Amino acid sequence: MSLNKNNLAIYFLVFFCSLSLAQKRNEQKNDSIITQDLEEVIVTATRTIRQLSSLPLPVTLIPKKQLQQTGVTRLNEILNEQTGIVMTPDATIGGGEGVQIQGISSDYILVLIDGVPIVGRSSGNLDLSRFAIGNIKQIEVVKGPSSSLFGSEALGGVINIITEKPTTKNISGQVSHRGASFNNQNTNVSFNQRKGKFGYSIFADRLSTDGYDLAPSSDGQTINPFFNYTFSGRAFFKASEKLDVFASGRYFFQEFDISPSTSEEKDANAQLRINHSPSKKTNLQYEFYYTNYITDERTIDPIDDELLIENDFDQKLFRPEIRFNYSFGPENTLTVGAGYNFESLDRSLFAEQVTFNSQYIFVQYDYKPLEKINIIAGARFDNHSEYNSQLSPKLSARYQLTNHFAIKGSVGSGFKAPDFRQLYIDFTNAAGGGYSVFGKEVEVAGIQRLQDNNEIATLQVNSSELGEPLDAESSIGYNLGFAYKKGKLSSEINLFRNDFKNLIDTRILAAKTNGQNVFGYINRESVFTQGIELDLQYNALENLNISGGYQLLYAYDKTQREDVANGNVFARDPLTLQTLQLAQSDYFGLENRSRHTLNFKAFYEVPKWSANGNLRVVYRSRFGLTDRNGNGLLDEFDDSFVDGYAIVNLSFGKTFYNHYQLQVGANNLLDFQGENPLTAQDSEILINPGIQLFLKLNVQF
Amino acid sequence: MKTTIKLFTLLFVLFAFVSCSDDDEGPNLIAVESNTASNIPAPQTGGQGQPVGGDFTKFSFATGAVTTSDTEWDLAFRGTTIALNGGAVTGTADEPARNGNGGVSIQTGTFASITSADGLTFNQDADGAFAIPTGSDNGWYNYNPQLFLVTPIPGQIFVIRTHDGKYAKVEFLSYYENAPANPDAMSDPSRFYTFNYTYNPNDGETTLAL
Repeated sequence: MSLNKNNLAIYFLVFFCSLSLAQKRNEQKNDSIITQDLEEVIVTATRTIRQLSSLPLPVTLIPKKQLQQTGVTRLNEILNEQTGIVMTPDATIGGGEGVQIQGISSDYILVLIDGVPIVGRSSGNLDLSRFAIGNIKQIEVVKGPSSSLFGSEALGGVINIITEKPTTKNISGQVSHRGASFNNQNTNVSFNQRKGKFGYSIFADRLSTDGYDLAPSSDGQTINPFFNYTFSGRAFFKASEKLDVFASGRYFFQEFDISPSTSEEKDANAQLRINHSPSKKTNLQYEFYYTNYITDERTIDPIDDELLIENDFDQKLFRPEIRFNYSFGPENTLTVGAGYNFESLDRSLFAEQVTFNSQYIFVQYDYKPLEKINIIAGARFDNHSEYNSQLSPKLSARYQLTNHFAIKGSVGSGFKAPDFRQLYIDFTNAAGGGYSVFGKEVEVAGIQRLQDNNEIATLQVNSSELGEPLDAESSIGYNLGFAYKKGKLSSEINLFRNDFKNLIDTRILAAKTNGQNVFGYINRESVFTQGIELDLQYNALENLNISGGYQLLYAYDKTQREDVANGNVFARDPLTLQTLQLAQSDYFGLENRSRHTLNFKAFYEVPKWSANGNLRVVYRSRFGLTDRNGNGLLDEFDDSFVDGYAIVNLSFGKTFYNHYQLQVGANNLLDFQGENPLTAQDSEILINPGIQLFLKLNVQF
Repeated sequence: MKTTIKLFTLLFVLFAFVSCSDDDEGPNLIAVESNTASNIPAPQTGGQGQPVGGDFTKFSFATGAVTTSDTEWDLAFRGTTIALNGGAVTGTADEPARNGNGGVSIQTGTFASITSADGLTFNQDADGAFAIPTGSDNGWYNYNPQLFLVTPIPGQIFVIRTHDGKYAKVEFLSYYENAPANPDAMSDPSRFYTFNYTYNPNDGETTLAL
């Protein structure tokens, strides 16, 4: 009897997992479009549950099915295949990878897990390969500024990883192992159960690899061998119809094998959320969140075991937040929220541990003044202990013109608080020639200290400018989109423009007697990104889904553009080495931006064989890495351009005996390796390590 | 066709005439000369946190060559530091005594666009400060910390008053031996200056165009 029950549960799960697309399609045929749309709901855009297709904002949803069928293991891999989202390499060789949305770099993109923010950025960049893809329901990406709901860092967009809720009465779960090129071994296991009022899920993941080398002729490896573990657990308790409690914890540990030196990374999060609905119209959410991100690096001389560099980083955030939703009607919701951030950072390059406190309140009203019009108006006020307070409004609207055609538009503002480094770094690079860097809060004292030691040759700025507070970096984003959906075709076009001001840049504060400089931070740059995103989706056959995406992007620094137009920017002729004046057409724009990015995806299923296959192609056009000829901007005379390239990914999966799934695939099937222009003579640096084959076995129970 | 040839002939005659009249204006002046100084070595000791030292390599525009003279020099090089024979000693170790009346005026443009030293303000070395400021992005070069490269800032033209009051303009081209188009900090030897210069050897004459 119990065996039967088990089988039923398993059958249900397998059926749900492997055939849900087919199921969805049947429903679509039989019922109206709304039935299908109801399945695709997202929470990031409004912090309430909303149908994806009815939102007035540009949103990308990556469903669980796509995560499973592509066989990817980390967040960065799947994001790169979405329209308008590019994973960009750092200009430095072997540096991290950052996500870029609408041409806006990783520093200005907020990453959340279940609605709470991740901390731990290295030079502003958040390493997305830290996040294992497992036990994830979906990934939601809201493009454009969202500071009206999420505060600092949400200028370019918000990426929210939504974890899965347990649904089965009996214990269910899966074990899988994936082996891939470069001895990349990934094992994970998960359990889920929902029994009465109580539910839980447990997930464990281990990844190890030998790494790879993009510069075979030079010493060392680009990516050193490493291993990491991710553990996460979540508990759900439904006390009554009106009250439920959610608690979750996540721990990530990573260690690089670079003996005798050491490099460790730890990331922990804990979240508690109480959801109380005292009446049908009112809903209250109490949320407590704590996160701690730690890195420990020790660079040790392999010959005499001397400690060369010690670089430790320990960031903590504690955040209580309360949210209140009130429904005046079925599509008429007021949301009010408030919270308090307690942040601290202890870092080797800082004189002492530093702390931030900030308080915030936000309001959002989501309503339908007419049947076909939806308007969302919101604003958030952030008060901060270290810089000016910020007000971030946002307005978006959608007009359903006909059954198939809709127009949507939004205007919103975003900001990013000056980070700890820009305020508190106190660093003199003895190994790198003796330059110094001071954060804004410590620059007066730092310069004074150097002057007392007679280390300053000349002060390059007026001494009264020293210590003038930094403003938050801010942006205004505009999006205007048109959606057309009919039959097998669904398409969407979005025009965007983002204007950034007060971007924080480094500047020279003083020249030192040793010939090096003292650097500080200043609000200076104004940049813009604008372009068009196009998404097409076509269900060509019952089990064949084809989609394509394209982004056209223009990204420039406004001041630099003006300087070039005025004839004040020069470059060096690569042959004669003589100065020549830059023409407007020679100015390439911001680093690491491709004018054209394209993706093409085809997913095919054969239900009677329980098999599926998919092909994904991602292309990005030529982009430049860095200024190389000393004029401070990227122009056609800089020998730092990477030619456009395409990556082709392929994977096949088949289910045996309902429980066993076998997947084989190749990422970068065409073995693209490319050539990094920043290469030294007589050596070669690659863009991509080449083809990576994988084999994955998954057992569901 | 014929008309075109006629037009060109006319233009040529006109051009030749105008050119001749130019030459006629200053029959006693020595011609302005343009040259490239290549691989002027600028060794230094110390650096990387250690005290910097070593003799400067001195250069004279009149001879277009490196000189050991203590008085007949205009520019002197050590590492990325450039001294002028004008003003006062800055206080760094092993620097040459300033006994001339040299100066520098830093201009922005292409080399050809700077045609005269007339009306410019000249700075001299002083206690604690070189007239061509030291450090990346301050004076003549930009240091790229990712590539460890010293690159002359494009568009920086240095109008020089020599130690004996004549004028020259200088554009630095490279800090690496044999001025490679894409130097590699790891394999190309540095501290070798290559620069274009135009020198007007006539006393007090400010013209810097050929």
